[in-house]
Amino acid sequence: MHGPATSARIGQPVTRKEDRRFVTGEGHYADDFNFENQTYAIMVRSPHAHANIVSIDASEALAVPGVLAVLTGADFIADGLLPVPNKTFSMHPAEIPLVNTDGTPAFNVPDYPMPADKARFVGEPLVMVIAESIAAAKDGADLVHIEYEPLPCVTFTVDAADLDAPRVRDENTSNVCIDAVIGEPDPTEESFRNAAHIAKVKTWIPRVTGSPMEPRGAVGTYDPKTGQYTVYTSSGSTLRLRRDLSLVLNVPEPHVRLVIKDVGGNFGTRGAIFAEQPLVAWAAKRVGRPVKWTSERSELLLSDYQGRDLAVEAELALDKDGTFLAMRGSNVGNLGSHTGNFSMVQKGVEIMSSIYRMPSAFFRVRAVLSHTAPTRPYRSSGRPEVMYVMERLIDIAAKQGGFDRAELRLRNLVSQNELPYKNPFGLVYDSGDYIGVMHRTLKLADWEGFPARKAEARTRGKYRGMGLANYVDTATGIPREKARITVHPDGTTDLIIGTISNGQGHETSFAQLVHDWLSVPFEKVKLITGDTDIVDVGGGAHSGRGMRLGSIVIWEAVNRIIEKGKQVVGLLLQKDAAAIKFADGDFFADGNQVMSLIDVATAMNSRTDLPQEFRGPLAGECDQTIMEAGFPYGSHACEVEIDIELGTVEIVRHTAIDDVGRAVNPLIIHGQTHGGIAQGVGQALLEQVYYDASNGQMLAGSFMDYAMPRADMLPFYTTDISEIPSTTHPLGIRPAGEGGTTPALGVVINAIVDALSEFGVEHMEMPATPERIWRAIHGKPQRSRMVPDTVEQDFSLA
Amino acid sequence: MPRVTMTVNGVARSAEVENRTLLVQFLRDHLRLTGTHVGCDTTQCGACVVHLDGVGVKSCTVLAVACEGSTVTTIEGLADGDHLHPMQEAFHQNHGLQCGFCTPGMIMSAVDMVRRNGYDLDEHTIRKQLDGNICRCTGYHNIVLAIIAGAAAMRPE
Repeated sequence: MHGPATSARIGQPVTRKEDRRFVTGEGHYADDFNFENQTYAIMVRSPHAHANIVSIDASEALAVPGVLAVLTGADFIADGLLPVPNKTFSMHPAEIPLVNTDGTPAFNVPDYPMPADKARFVGEPLVMVIAESIAAAKDGADLVHIEYEPLPCVTFTVDAADLDAPRVRDENTSNVCIDAVIGEPDPTEESFRNAAHIAKVKTWIPRVTGSPMEPRGAVGTYDPKTGQYTVYTSSGSTLRLRRDLSLVLNVPEPHVRLVIKDVGGNFGTRGAIFAEQPLVAWAAKRVGRPVKWTSERSELLLSDYQGRDLAVEAELALDKDGTFLAMRGSNVGNLGSHTGNFSMVQKGVEIMSSIYRMPSAFFRVRAVLSHTAPTRPYRSSGRPEVMYVMERLIDIAAKQGGFDRAELRLRNLVSQNELPYKNPFGLVYDSGDYIGVMHRTLKLADWEGFPARKAEARTRGKYRGMGLANYVDTATGIPREKARITVHPDGTTDLIIGTISNGQGHETSFAQLVHDWLSVPFEKVKLITGDTDIVDVGGGAHSGRGMRLGSIVIWEAVNRIIEKGKQVVGLLLQKDAAAIKFADGDFFADGNQVMSLIDVATAMNSRTDLPQEFRGPLAGECDQTIMEAGFPYGSHACEVEIDIELGTVEIVRHTAIDDVGRAVNPLIIHGQTHGGIAQGVGQALLEQVYYDASNGQMLAGSFMDYAMPRADMLPFYTTDISEIPSTTHPLGIRPAGEGGTTPALGVVINAIVDALSEFGVEHMEMPATPERIWRAIHGKPQRSRMVPDTVEQDFSLA
Repeated sequence: MPRVTMTVNGVARSAEVENRTLLVQFLRDHLRLTGTHVGCDTTQCGACVVHLDGVGVKSCTVLAVACEGSTVTTIEGLADGDHLHPMQEAFHQNHGLQCGFCTPGMIMSAVDMVRRNGYDLDEHTIRKQLDGNICRCTGYHNIVLAIIAGAAAMRPE
């Protein structure tokens, strides 16, 4: 929805600077790091979901030609290394804290990268074989004999919450790590007593895996002379990962250098430290040579951090006119085998009422451990799950009360003059035009014309449905970020920043900011990130913080350069610095251009008569902790056609309008939306990390079994941007990376249920596979994909 | 170990390899041509597509020794010096990439698609024939647009 760029300034759809190396094969990912004399690691992983490790016999493995070492969790502990600390909750002040009902602290225990005592999920690394070649390491790994004592396991979220379920951690009395309530019980119950309509949904948002296309990988080196570890890898963060590596390796932070070049996708599931990163560093010290590890896809499917996995029972109370009165329910989130990150349940409850006016709400929230791979935030952690629940409740209520689905939403959306609005969980939304954006989406998606399209589809034998969904997202994340900008005399401008791109195009969009504000040539702005020898402060690309926080520190660093420039001009020309103006790359005194930015940079680099503080490079930096959250929101519509003979779904239209506050690069923003939609559609129709509940085996071994969207399953999307400036951001910017995914689960399922409404279908669990759809059409129970022969919705979270 | 010789991006290359060495391992590990990527190991994702004697293949499923005497073109050999191949340029102009990891395979597959079908590629054909290439970032929208544009730009003057 935009023409070509006419300049490289803010707001222009500038094509990306980083593309050249990617289209020519010059990208540099984790497996592209190679060193003289490097060795190769292969991990031996647990085949059991839960087992005591009785003994490990490495003698045969060590006899394989080329095998250099076989390392175990016991060796790791013996070397004085430490477990990975878990951060659990977001401490961001905008976030609503969750506190155990009984007042005890949430259960949290650190995890060893290779446990010595027990395996707690299938795929957990237990032994590391180092050899001269990958082939030799694999041959050695085949000959490591581990004696296990298998133990009972639990994988399904609701079952894991059972106080008698097999426990993941002996230190806890059950698998429940937090059991909290949020909201106001009394007004909520009062509203439910007085309600004219009550809509109910009981659903499980299944577990999926982010599956960035780049496999995980890392190379570790160790210099015994300096005690310096270096880890070359790819990740969603630089400095947090360096800190975690130093904690695990039990050395001061400066003893660990981290180097990241290109990152082949993240989506949240590559945001945290993973076991093999400290292991290769430690192994490098042990064998005295660089150690390289690159995963294969089959082990990624077992051992990557996974996402979603939330069971929800929720109700919505409405009056006779369809005005929302209250909502209540219970959420249980599955952490997997680590207490790694509770954001799914925290972010997943505080925003459940979305952007609708909801006078009161009351929810119980639990996070539970299970014998499955650990879960972490995955593209908009928690929010797609609960936006789906809210949008399902609205459609169920519309059907029950005979309301128009669009009208019911419009009636209850928070209006512009009610903002800032505090939702019933305590979260405060800043600004926006929720009603206006929804009207725009209805128009762009041609809501009015849908009945005619539905009738036309029927003449072709297809059942067509249309779904609507609004959303809001809480963008928080690590609040501290830092930028340092240096303008060189030749115009080259270096931007050093803590955050790192995982494909979002920072080299382009950040350069647009610097170019626009300093008028240095766009092509001469050079982004430098990803090496802890250069960057010292900043967070990752999570929680919509790349551009949101990056733009603030870049803006402040630019202002410091301009301020410094004015002082230098004042000194050199004997003018009052306060009266000097800066515009379009030039300094003006008394209305006349007197020096350019480049003149100032040149003078500072060459003139020795300047005071000490103005000699040297023309640079400005800003290190800021930004405690405000961002609230991107939007409205999407989806149309599907279903072949009722086969149960297959075709997405025929998908319309999205997302409010980004201020669009820096619409080309990149639309691209983010497209990819986000595809990931949401993947969850709604195809994807599931399927654990066999009887033995904890994850049944997807490759992309043959783990179904992700391909090009022929998706249409061209219709996307547009809204720009109502955010009032919590000095430049009005809202994040844009998660808007495609956040409403996608709800909008796709709503479209499917609409298409099947004449068969009496009221709800559809995810993924909406052809089998599920066929069974729903024929009035059969929607059997669980996780526990064969059980009815999925037959659980209680009371 | 057997010695294998093939022409890669116009240059004769030779190395001793194990019988089990895959073409992609030969390219990445022996020749350090790291533009060809491994994304799945099972011929699903297409990140490893190269042209073997002019035809697109998934190099993770071809043994290096089977390529004796062959001609291989990788993503590094597609551009004409500093001048990008029209398909590379089309991916750039249409924002057909984000993280870039699937991109070499996408571009090599797209060029092969033009070889098979000609320069007038429509959306339906592209989506069907891109079934063997997975992208997790772009939702395919801009990749399809890029291939339409790149195919048209490949038409000889």
